[in-house]
Amino acid sequence: MPVRNIWFLALATCTEGIRHRALWAIVCLAVLLTMANLGVTTLYTWDLGKVSVEFGLSSVAFTGLLLVFFLGMKILADDLERSRIFMLLSRPVSIWQYLTGKFLGLVMILLLATIILGLSAALSMHYVLWQYPAYVPPNFSWVTYIMALACQWLSLVVVLAVSVLCFSFASQPFVALLLAVSTYLVGQNMELLRRVVTENAHAGALTGQENLVLALSWIFPNLSLFDKKYAAAYGMAFSGQEFMLLCLYGISYSALLIYFATLLFRRKELA
Amino acid sequence: MTVPALEITGLSKGFGSGRKKNQVLTNLSLTITQGEVFGFLGPNGAGKSTTIKLLLHFLKPDSGSLRILGKTVGQEEFRHRIGYLSEFPFFYDHLTARETLRLSGRLSGMERQALDQRIPILLERMTLTEAADRRVGGFSKGMKQRLGMANALIHDPEVLIFDEPMSGLDPVGRHQIKGLIAELKQEGKTIFFSSHILSDIEALCDRIGVINKGVLLYSGGLRDFLVAGCGLEESFVRVIEEANHACA
Repeated sequence: MPVRNIWFLALATCTEGIRHRALWAIVCLAVLLTMANLGVTTLYTWDLGKVSVEFGLSSVAFTGLLLVFFLGMKILADDLERSRIFMLLSRPVSIWQYLTGKFLGLVMILLLATIILGLSAALSMHYVLWQYPAYVPPNFSWVTYIMALACQWLSLVVVLAVSVLCFSFASQPFVALLLAVSTYLVGQNMELLRRVVTENAHAGALTGQENLVLALSWIFPNLSLFDKKYAAAYGMAFSGQEFMLLCLYGISYSALLIYFATLLFRRKELA
Repeated sequence: MTVPALEITGLSKGFGSGRKKNQVLTNLSLTITQGEVFGFLGPNGAGKSTTIKLLLHFLKPDSGSLRILGKTVGQEEFRHRIGYLSEFPFFYDHLTARETLRLSGRLSGMERQALDQRIPILLERMTLTEAADRRVGGFSKGMKQRLGMANALIHDPEVLIFDEPMSGLDPVGRHQIKGLIAELKQEGKTIFFSSHILSDIEALCDRIGVINKGVLLYSGGLRDFLVAGCGLEESFVRVIEEANHACA
């Protein structure tokens, strides 16, 4: 029964998202970015292949974030603001089933969008690499590109889980959005900050705060780990083991956030 | 002896805390037997919707207990046995009426085959057959209200809880919903509904409850409530004015 409910909620959320105009806007953006990739790459005189791969993956990351912060959070906020949640929770659906169902539905939308955007970026990259074979990075591999794309998707899944957590306790959707964006920015730079503080004895105001920074690095998501644009662009293969560990980290971190979101949401009064 | 359909005992609820606390319900007790149609009356802000949200466990009471068909709200599962229509039913705009009903039915534990049979019947009953495959976002208020009613009935529940089911409807829409409630009464369903429209209450209810500023002023038969020679509206206004006067 719980799995059944989660599946139906996920399917409904995914259908709602797919039929939303925002997704079509993103498809258009993907086409524009594909064309931009062709234009931008030719502005460079060397390393055209590397520029093309990095631009392609960056465009996937950018549009994916737009999807999480605007479409994803809008779908979540509308449930509360427009009282749609009453239609669902007046049925035998628990809070954790509701939140997990919504989360998985949005994860499915992100997967679909990443596939569309990734394919679109791959087409433009393929054209550039075919047009300028001299600039194809040595050891360039489409498998590494697909793995980098999967890491990008996992990073978006973690950011989405952060958004669901913020949504579960914030009083206003705007506050939830602000918190989620801030967490994303911290998560992108946490690893760098940790290394600066732990490896540098002259880290300014943070000197001597190694334990605090270390504790924070365990709390905030380490999103820089998922950034494999560099590896894909330079044809640097990363191991299957590292990939599996990243998957494990992304999935377990997201599951933990959804668990905390459930605990917090249970305390919320749906007035 | 059958268990009461709804049993509310000593229910209190306030929002906020300290000096800013707004007490919305005070020591409310009500019992509604199975098969009866109970009208819950009160002016705006009296605590009708709050009572309904507490019944559905959307809100948690400060004190008191609520039982539905013998199951304690918040502790035991009862929701597969009730149907709920909110005052402003909102649905997923991009799902069709059929998909909306399918989602609700599935979440209520119904199987695909049962839904395939039930959905066309309900859509026809609510005169929504032609709109079955249209997205709900384009529906009028009346159509949404009728879809909300179908949504509440999809799993054929024993107890129906309607929050202002006739609010914002034109006379035709109101007539339709009224007719439907009368049919459900004939089928022996327990119906608990709040309304401002006293003529509807008069036409449909076996018993009524009158609430003002979170305090239950009356609960009992409709005839017993009517002041000699007065209609429901006059009797209602008189009771509310007396209560307000007593408070002042």
